[in-house]
Amino acid sequence: MREQLRREIERLKSLGATYVDARWYPFEEQNYLMMWNGNLKVTDASRESGVGVRVLYRGAWGFSASSDLSNLRALFDKAFDNARIAAERVTFPVRLAEKDALQASFESPCRIDPFEVPLEEKVAFLKAMDEKLNQPGVEQRTGDLNFIRKQIVFLDSEGSEIEKRITEVFARLRVSGRDEDGVSHVRTFTLGRRGETRGWESMDMEYFAEQAERIVREMNQVRTAEPCPKDDRAVILLPGIMYLQTHETIGHALELDRILGYELAYAGGSFVRLEDFGTLRYGSEKLTVRADATLPNSPGSFGYDDDGVPAQNNLLIDKGILVGAITGRQMVEEANARARRRIFEGSSGANRATAFYRVPIERMTNINIDPGTDGTLDDIVRNTERGIVLDGERSWSIGSNREQFHFAVEIGWLVEDGQISRVVKNATYKGDTLKFWNSLSAVGDESTWEVKFVDNCGKGQPNQVMQLGHGVPVCRFDNVRIGE
Amino acid sequence: MKDRILQTLHDLRRYAREKGYEVSLFFHVEDSYLMRFANSAISLNTNEHLIRFEATAYDGRKRASYEMITNLDDVEALKTGIDTAAEMVEHAMPLTYEPTIPVLPETFIDESNWDAELASVSNEERLAYFNTAVKGLETEEIRLSGIFSNGTNVLAHTNTRSEHAQYFQTSDAQITAVLSHERLKWEVSAGQSAQRKTDLDPQALRAELAFLVKHYREDPPQQLPLGNYDIVFGPAATADLVRIMNWIGFNGGMMKRGYSFLKEEEVGRQVLSPLFTLTDDPTRRETFPFRRDFTGIERKPFPLFERGVFKGFIWSQDEADEFGAQPTGHTVMHNSLVMAGGEMAVDSLEELVAQRRENDLLYVPFLHYMNIVNPSQGVVTASSRFGALLLKADGSIAIPYNVRLTHSLKTIFGENLAWLSRKTVPHNTSSSYGARNPTAVIVPRFLCVNDLAISHSNDSF
Ligand SMILES: [Zn+2]
Repeated sequence: MREQLRREIERLKSLGATYVDARWYPFEEQNYLMMWNGNLKVTDASRESGVGVRVLYRGAWGFSASSDLSNLRALFDKAFDNARIAAERVTFPVRLAEKDALQASFESPCRIDPFEVPLEEKVAFLKAMDEKLNQPGVEQRTGDLNFIRKQIVFLDSEGSEIEKRITEVFARLRVSGRDEDGVSHVRTFTLGRRGETRGWESMDMEYFAEQAERIVREMNQVRTAEPCPKDDRAVILLPGIMYLQTHETIGHALELDRILGYELAYAGGSFVRLEDFGTLRYGSEKLTVRADATLPNSPGSFGYDDDGVPAQNNLLIDKGILVGAITGRQMVEEANARARRRIFEGSSGANRATAFYRVPIERMTNINIDPGTDGTLDDIVRNTERGIVLDGERSWSIGSNREQFHFAVEIGWLVEDGQISRVVKNATYKGDTLKFWNSLSAVGDESTWEVKFVDNCGKGQPNQVMQLGHGVPVCRFDNVRIGE
Repeated sequence: MKDRILQTLHDLRRYAREKGYEVSLFFHVEDSYLMRFANSAISLNTNEHLIRFEATAYDGRKRASYEMITNLDDVEALKTGIDTAAEMVEHAMPLTYEPTIPVLPETFIDESNWDAELASVSNEERLAYFNTAVKGLETEEIRLSGIFSNGTNVLAHTNTRSEHAQYFQTSDAQITAVLSHERLKWEVSAGQSAQRKTDLDPQALRAELAFLVKHYREDPPQQLPLGNYDIVFGPAATADLVRIMNWIGFNGGMMKRGYSFLKEEEVGRQVLSPLFTLTDDPTRRETFPFRRDFTGIERKPFPLFERGVFKGFIWSQDEADEFGAQPTGHTVMHNSLVMAGGEMAVDSLEELVAQRRENDLLYVPFLHYMNIVNPSQGVVTASSRFGALLLKADGSIAIPYNVRLTHSLKTIFGENLAWLSRKTVPHNTSSSYGARNPTAVIVPRFLCVNDLAISHSNDSF
C-alpha cells in the first residue's frame, strides 16, 4: 500500500503538482456506550478505513477521499482535478513553510487498550456508576464512554513517512433534577488527564464513584439554591469552566486561518489582526498562554501534525502580550507575506484533520495557561471581597470575531468577605474578551492546575470534530457581569 | 446504484436470517462536493464518496450497533459487521423496555426528491455560479467567502422481520456567500437552498448581496445603545430559532427528560402568539422530506402549533417505546418544519427598507452561535451577524455593530411577536457534521418581534 501511494504521489508530481500528500488510515475504530437512567441506550462500535489525498497545483489545493482503495489512481486524479479547477480562482498562491522530511512514528501512551476490554466490563462500569448516580433529587442520570483507536500513515512528496497510533478515552457522568419551579439543573463530571497514560486504566472505579457522589451532592445544592444575582463581581473560574473560557476566547481567536479570514463563511473571524503580534496586550501580566503539543498524555499531543511537522511547545501570550498563533505550513507563509514582516518562523505544527476524508486545518493542540503565584483556591477565595466561584459549562455563545462571550455554568458559590457564603443556581457571566482577560487578577498555583480533555471541538466546512486538551489553573477576573 | 443497494440489503438480510440474528440494516451513501471560498479564492475544493453501513442487532430488550465506512463490493466485510453487532448484543445490557423492530408494510422507494441535474453539477458550474453571484461586488478590500455544497444522499434500510425495504434518494445544494471588508471587518451574506437545479438563482443572490454591500459602503456604522428594540428577523435567524424549538420544544423524549420548555399539560393550550403556526409538513419538497419514517409510517402534515395553540409532542419509535407513547411518524433523520406566513406585504429587503415606520427597526438577518442557556425555560442566546441594519423612523439607515440577544422562545414567538411576512422562503439548515443530511426550514421572509432587549453591544465590527 505504501509503495502504491508513493508511486501515485510521484506520478502527480510528474504531472505538475507542486506538493502531494496522502493520509492512509488502515483503521479508525470507535466504541461509544451511553447509559441513560439505567438504560444502555447506545452500544455502538464503528470502524472505517480509507485514504485522503491533498494536491497543490499552481497555488491551489485539491482534495479527494475514498474508502474504496481498489482504484487509487482515480482517487489521486480526482484530487488533482479538484486542484486544477481551484487554480482558476487564486488570490494568494499557497506556499508551504519549510520543514524537514521525517521518517518517524508516534504512539500515544496507553497501558490497557480499551478495545481489548470485554464489552461486559464496560457495561458493568456504567451500571455501577448509574447506581451511584441514582439518588434522591436526581431525575436524569447519564454516563457515557467513548473510546477511539486509530492508525494513520502519512506520506508526502517531500519524502516524509510518518506513522501514528493514537488511543483516546473520554468519559462523562451527568445528573439533572428540577427545582420547585420545574426548571432543570445539571452537574457534570468529565474525565481529564490522570497519570502518565490513558487507556482502560483511566477508568478508576473509586475515583469515578467519588466524582459521582460529588456531582449528585452539588446538583441537589443547586436545585434548592436561590438564583444567581444580577451583579458585577469578581469571578473565580475553576478548571471545569476555565478550560472552556480559554478554548473559546484564546484558542479559537488565535487560529491563524481564522485571523486570515479563512473561516468567515461559517465559524467566523478573529478580532486579532496581524499587526497585533508582538504588541497587543491580550491580558494582564499574570497571563501566560502556550500551545503545548509536547504535554505528555493528552489528546492535544499527537507527535506530528498532518503536514508532517513535529509537535511543539510555543508561547501564544507572554505575560499578557500576544506573541504567537496556532499555525500550519500554509498560513504562516501567507501571514508573513501579508504583514510584510516575519511574524512566524515556521509552522507551529498544528494542522490536523479529523478523519481520512477531511482536509487538515489549524486546530488547537493543548492550549494551556501557566500556573501562577496566587496560591491555592482557598487562598484566592480568602483574598476576594465580593465574588463568585463558577464551574461546569452549560451554555457558551461567542461573538463571530471572538470579541465577546456569554457563558452559563452549572454551579456558582457566592464569595463574601473572603468566605464562600452560598450556592446559587442559573449562574451566568459575560464580557468582552480583551477587557475580561485584562481583568485577570489572580492565577492559582500548581495545586489548582488541571488538564481537561476536549472531544468535540467543531470547526470548518465540511465540519471537523477534533480532540485536544487544556491545562489550566484556577483564575480570578475582576468586575464581571453575572446573572444576565 | 439503487438496484445494487437493494440487492445488497436483500442478500445481507438473508445472511442474517440464516444465522438466526435479529437485525436491522441501514445504508447511507453520499456523494458530496464542496467548493469553499475564502479571501476571494477557492480555498478548498473537495469531494467525498462514502458508504456507511450500520447493523443494529436486537435480542429481546438488548440492542447494539456496529457502523462502518466501507464499499458495496466488500460483502464479506459487511457480513462481518453484522456478525460484530450480533456478538455485541450478547454482551449488552437489557433496556427497561422492549425496542420495537418495525415490520415495513411495503417496499417504498422515493426518488422524487432527487434531481439528476443538481446532483451532477460540475466543478466548472459551481465556480460559474459564484462568479455570477458576486460579479462586480468584490474589490481589493471586499473579499468573497462562502460554500457551494451539493450532492446526492441515499438512505436504504430493512430488517430481519420485514420482507420489504425502504429507499430514499435526495439531491441538495446549499450555498452561502459572504462579502467582508478586510480592513473595516464588516460582513454581509446571502444564501440559497436548492432541491432541484432550477432552484439555483445566482442573480437573486447577487441582487441581495449588492443591496447590502451598497448600504454597508454608504451608511454610517453605529454602536447601539443597550435597551429595547423592535427587531425584524431574517430567514436564517428565524430558521435557527425554529431549529432550537425542534430540539427543546415539541420533542416528546426531551420533554420527558426535563429538557423542554413545553409541558404535557400545555397540549391544547394557547402557548405562543396567535400569529404563530408551525407544521411538520413532509409534502414540501424544499425541506428534503421523508414521506415515510424508518418504521414505515406514512408521514402526513403534523400540526405542532396552530395560531399559537400547542397541538402535541412528536415521538420517535424509540422514545415512544421508552415512555409508553404512541409513535407519530417521526423516526426520521430530520423533520420538515414549515412556519406559516402572516399578513404583512413585505416580501423583500428593499420593501422592508422602504416601508414607512413609526419606530426604529433593527433588522437581524442572522444569529451567530446560538446556544441554550436554559432548556426548561426555553432561554437561548446568540449574537447578530451578517448584514444587520438599523432602519430609523426618519427613513435613514445606520449599520449597527453586532449585538447579543438572550431571550426565551416564549417571548420571541409569544406575546412580543408583532407581524410576519406573507411570503415564506426555505432556509437551508444543513450542517456538515458526519453523514450528509440535507435539511431546510420554511419560514416567513421577515418576522418582527417588538420590544426585545439587547444585552450586549459591540463597539466595532
Ligand atoms: Zn472549539
